[in-house]
Amino acid sequence: MAGERRVAVTGLGLVTPVGSDVAATWQALLAGRSGVSAISLFDASGFPVRIAAEVKGTAHLDAIDDRRVLKSANRSHRFALAAADEAMRDAGIRPTPATRSRWGCAVGTGMMGVEFAELVALHRHSGAEGTLDTERLLTDDIARDPMVFCRSQSAAGASLLLKRYGIGGYATSVHTACASGGQAVGTAMKLVRRGVCDWVLAGGFDSMITPIGLAGFCLLNAVSPDNDAPERASRPFDATRNGFVLGEGAGFVVLEEWASARRRGARIYAELAGDGNSLSSYRITDSHPSGDGPIQAMRQALASAGATTEEVDYLNAHGTSTPMNDRSESAAARAVFGARVKQVAVSSTKSVMGHLIAAAGAVEAAVCALAIHHGRLPVNANLRELDPDCDLDIVREVPRQRRVRLAMSNSLGFGGSNSCLVLRNPEEVR
Amino acid sequence: MAAAAKIVVTGCGALCAAGQSPAEIWDAVRAGRSAIGPITQWDAARWPARVAGEIAGLEPFKLVTDRKLHKLIRRSDVFGLYAADRAIEDAGLPAHRERLDEAAATAFNDGTGVYVGAGGGCYASQYDFFPLLTSAGESIEAFGRELGDTVNPMWLLRTLPNNVLCHIGIRHTLKGPNACVTNHSVSGTLALIEAVEGLRAGEADRAVAVGHDAPIEPQMVLYYHQLGLLGGEVLRPYDVARSGSLFGEGAAALVLETEAAAAARGATVQGAILGSGYASEAQGLLPIRDDGDGLARAIAAALDDAGIRAADVGMIVGHANGTRQSDASEAAGIRAVFGAAPPPVTGFKWAFGHLIAASGTIETVLALRALRERVVPGVATLERLDPALGDFPVSSEARAPTSEVALVLSRGFGGTNAALLVRA
Repeated sequence: MAGERRVAVTGLGLVTPVGSDVAATWQALLAGRSGVSAISLFDASGFPVRIAAEVKGTAHLDAIDDRRVLKSANRSHRFALAAADEAMRDAGIRPTPATRSRWGCAVGTGMMGVEFAELVALHRHSGAEGTLDTERLLTDDIARDPMVFCRSQSAAGASLLLKRYGIGGYATSVHTACASGGQAVGTAMKLVRRGVCDWVLAGGFDSMITPIGLAGFCLLNAVSPDNDAPERASRPFDATRNGFVLGEGAGFVVLEEWASARRRGARIYAELAGDGNSLSSYRITDSHPSGDGPIQAMRQALASAGATTEEVDYLNAHGTSTPMNDRSESAAARAVFGARVKQVAVSSTKSVMGHLIAAAGAVEAAVCALAIHHGRLPVNANLRELDPDCDLDIVREVPRQRRVRLAMSNSLGFGGSNSCLVLRNPEEVR
Repeated sequence: MAAAAKIVVTGCGALCAAGQSPAEIWDAVRAGRSAIGPITQWDAARWPARVAGEIAGLEPFKLVTDRKLHKLIRRSDVFGLYAADRAIEDAGLPAHRERLDEAAATAFNDGTGVYVGAGGGCYASQYDFFPLLTSAGESIEAFGRELGDTVNPMWLLRTLPNNVLCHIGIRHTLKGPNACVTNHSVSGTLALIEAVEGLRAGEADRAVAVGHDAPIEPQMVLYYHQLGLLGGEVLRPYDVARSGSLFGEGAAALVLETEAAAAARGATVQGAILGSGYASEAQGLLPIRDDGDGLARAIAAALDDAGIRAADVGMIVGHANGTRQSDASEAAGIRAVFGAAPPPVTGFKWAFGHLIAASGTIETVLALRALRERVVPGVATLERLDPALGDFPVSSEARAPTSEVALVLSRGFGGTNAALLVRA
């Protein structure tokens, strides 16, 4: 890869169900302390599934001192603002009038729509009979409130971040369901590599713990119904797993062209070294049991990193805890790593913080950077009886001390988009 | 930054109110025929905004013949899948793949990317919960309990913003790199840009780039009206009497290949993508700068990427959305790069409305056709050029492009600006 621009990860920010910042989240992931509990954001007592991994409290908002910004932000945007702020502070660099064109922003964002309370108000005024009455809509406060519109738009989150930091270059919002965050970070890496940007604020944010979001997943029987044992509900690779647990939050990284990061003496957590990206083209919700789809993404990511499977020490699995995902992903890991599969330590941090949907891939990329930085691997909680179809070297019970040369992060989305990111220990960059 | 590989266009598809193929749409534009008409999806007679570029007499089952699939997709997805099918067919990809042995066909599938620019969803998808909200009263407990009785179990899958990406993949067994961009009116152009960059970087040999959107729905129309973005009966870009934009709906798709991949299979080349540029103004979701700063920087970056000079550009397809501020700042941005005498400028939204996420895609398809026909179509609704724009080179009459290169501009929420350079 002579002459190619390398990409450094120099800032991290997290708002997750187990912590309102990077430090708290990392401690919980090492301890395997679950963030799953009974849903408190609304009365879920009638739903078949009544548990989720909610972001607790509002401590993450302490740093957002701008009331106008908060008014324009929905719940997921607030997570994004907080996590992005932490990542920018951590990196210790900001766009200036001279550098703004060289700064980019790439985010994985959730589905468009108004918030549930707004939908209820809209229904009361304009849909009480069960269908939309377009005449009544003309006098509906929700349909006439520009702030509702602004918060509901897909580009709203990115737009808030661009303005807050004065980012003047490439900006994009992407959505490939559960792969969104990974694809956003992968896109950001390529922007730096191809010279379009020298810095990119990249991440993902989502909040589907609403009556509508939960309903969507309940109807598909995709979420674990273990209401009586919330902390055990997410158990990727366990033989008794029965669905994922819905989470929420945001993860952001600051990416920076390697040489310029070195010149300014930035702390480099990792090199974001490779991105692989494929379509499963099998079923909307699953990859083929053979791992076809994820396999191509993982191989491309290694090729993009100029690396071989010999160097991979850790895989942060997509590991949703659904029967099909974990089986297909295990098959992919076996196919890609071959005889070396038992030398690659694997954990799904969704066992602790649930599935953050459009934010998941970005949060988990940050987790990989932390694993490299600290030389410790977070646990795959709740694994008691390993599914024989998932016979990988799972990090069970306690975190593992291990120097990581290469870490991989998988994100496999509804719709068949697969993203794999490769992060390299900075000491391995020569 | 010279391009690593030359990227060519080998297939196109499009549909909108003005027609269901690039040729039909082109003919309508050349004839000066606007397809803007009364909204028919609901009774909009007493609405403050009553017209749009609606696809009249839409027959979804004819556009996408797989009947079972319609349970899993929405209006905008139908458009996207139709346009993609036509572009893939136009490029001759299925016929080519049939001639390959199994190993080569697998390599072909893995080496074909899919990049989509999408609207990100519609408000109407949430109305699917209205019957449940009605039966549950205001009780969320009852809402949860009665969920399975009234709501389509496939609701979430039907609502995924990446549905077109998913189903192009499944229908055509394409498994390469992919993206789904949901970034307002620059989505389609961003999908094209990422497809080009994927090919340049060698991640794929060919890619399908799609833009699709269906913004003509009641709640969306009301919001845009409230914000002053929608005009009266006619979309008149750059006109002194322009009063705002009008929605359109539809989709477009292009098959892109590296020149080597296209040559290896003997594909007919319809044009080339030379380069792109992008910049944001970072003023918030709705505000834009009057000086065209972001647009000018995007154009300059595109020229740099393509390795050509401003003087090499032979025509400009403006965003031309007909709002007072966007058109004026667009003229300012173009002048900042091209100086006193830019090449002929035109726009296409006057003819079929603003396709939002699909606008950059359909306008790129039409720009390629304009270059091939050597005609810059006139803006038929232009009556009197806004004097504030000086002698801005836009006309109601057709002109000839001054070279084989066109610049296509797209602008979206968040003060985002994309510029694409194409050649016939």
